[in-house]
Amino acid sequence: MKNIAKNLLLASIGIASSSQANDLNINGFLSVGASMLDNDKVEISGYDTNGGFKQDTILGLQLSKQVNDSTTVTGQLVSRGSEDYNTESAWAYINFAANDDLDLRMGRLRVPFYYYSDFLEVGFAYDWIRPPAEVYSVPFSSVDGVDATYRFSIGNWDNSAQAYYGRYTPEGAGVDLRNFTGLALSGQTGDFSLRASYHRLEIISDGTGSFGAVNQGAAALIGTTGSALNTGLLAAGYSNQDIAGAVDDFTLTGQEIGFYGIAAGYDNGDYSAIAEYTQSFGDAPFIPIVNTYLVKAAKRFSDITAHLTFTSSETELDSGINETIQKSLMLEDKQSSIILGARYDYDSSSALKFEIQQLTEDMRSGAGEIDETGMLYSIAIDLVF
Amino acid sequence: MTTIKQLFCTCIISFFTITAAAETSVIVSASNGNASIDKNTISKIFLGKSKSFPDGSQALPIDQNDGTAARDAFNSNVLGKSASQLKSYWSRLIFTGKGTPPKQSGNDSDVKALISNNPNMIGYIDSSAVDASVKVVHKF
Repeated sequence: MKNIAKNLLLASIGIASSSQANDLNINGFLSVGASMLDNDKVEISGYDTNGGFKQDTILGLQLSKQVNDSTTVTGQLVSRGSEDYNTESAWAYINFAANDDLDLRMGRLRVPFYYYSDFLEVGFAYDWIRPPAEVYSVPFSSVDGVDATYRFSIGNWDNSAQAYYGRYTPEGAGVDLRNFTGLALSGQTGDFSLRASYHRLEIISDGTGSFGAVNQGAAALIGTTGSALNTGLLAAGYSNQDIAGAVDDFTLTGQEIGFYGIAAGYDNGDYSAIAEYTQSFGDAPFIPIVNTYLVKAAKRFSDITAHLTFTSSETELDSGINETIQKSLMLEDKQSSIILGARYDYDSSSALKFEIQQLTEDMRSGAGEIDETGMLYSIAIDLVF
Repeated sequence: MTTIKQLFCTCIISFFTITAAAETSVIVSASNGNASIDKNTISKIFLGKSKSFPDGSQALPIDQNDGTAARDAFNSNVLGKSASQLKSYWSRLIFTGKGTPPKQSGNDSDVKALISNNPNMIGYIDSSAVDASVKVVHKF
């Protein structure tokens, strides 16, 4: 009995000393924001003319621990005001460092779609209150799978190549994104950086959920004799065979979607600029081709950074019968924004930000022509700890 | 007139004295095998882009605490970044699990004491604090 107690005591001392030897790193970020829209005819998801405090409010907590010389575990929990503070694991992975230049990870990872994808929600890491929604528009940011990152130098360029494979099933959307795969290349030298990425995924829809039901409904309408859509297509001179083909095209399940993005950045400490362009495309006309870009310039005055951004997003329709259907389903979308903002670093781990965004909506998916302009006023505080 | 001239000279002399006193040395342990290390390599080690010394041995960067004169000089002369730019640089890496910043380990004498005992460590101290327990691999 005495021995057991003694062993337990020794074991607990052992545990205590090992947790001191291998650091458990705890890091966090918090953004709190308030915003007000001046025109309720424009739509910026979640923002309204009554003002609000939760849309830009995000809390993230990250735990990481080096398990042995080559293995690290990392978990990041993110709680978003825009999703009623439901907490999600944005990252949850095991990293195996095969050598100094090659990392292999498995678990939940961020999809490296964009320049700012890796630290998408860490407001402190960029000048904006939020990355512009015109470009940063993919409605999910994680994938469950594996990736490999290889770091290498060519001359003065420090580069990395990241390839991943996985699957993602968004909750309640009735779609399963399979064979989700992609490659992201980035390079940096002195004040310049470049980035390019390419991604592909296959959509499997079971016809349920928010997305699946809408898609199945739309596909059915095209082929159903007597529906306004079907009658319209026949009147426009399309044959029943054309229409059957369109029903197939508009049925999402089994279709592939692609995405690529390119970006270039410059930062000399006083002046910085970034340009990013993306295109999503694929076999599925129910999700039309979208071209987006942003161009941002900023100037640092000691603790204050002033920045100006132009950004735009526009769908590109197919031709022939698919274009006719895309138009009648009102899948066209065209919007652009000018964002003027300032960031004040009041110490080395917190920043206060102001932003005015002028949004012009020409066409909105599901609503057709809009032609409205609205202003969104925002203020936020970003911290890292 | 002579007084003004003298004053002027004294000012210039004291200006140079101050500049000379602010020289900073990048140091490793006296038992570390590397003779001299260039600025670019030091910068890579302190930004987490390289994990080893030119001779291939493991490199552990040691920072001074925020706000010391040596740290400010190191940040602007070697890394070419302000304190808040560095914080933003590291927050991009920390929250992707890609790296953690060097440990903040006190002032000139704390860093010197740490480094003299560990051949894998590299740090920076005011040149006036250098002694035989450490080796200078770079000066600025």
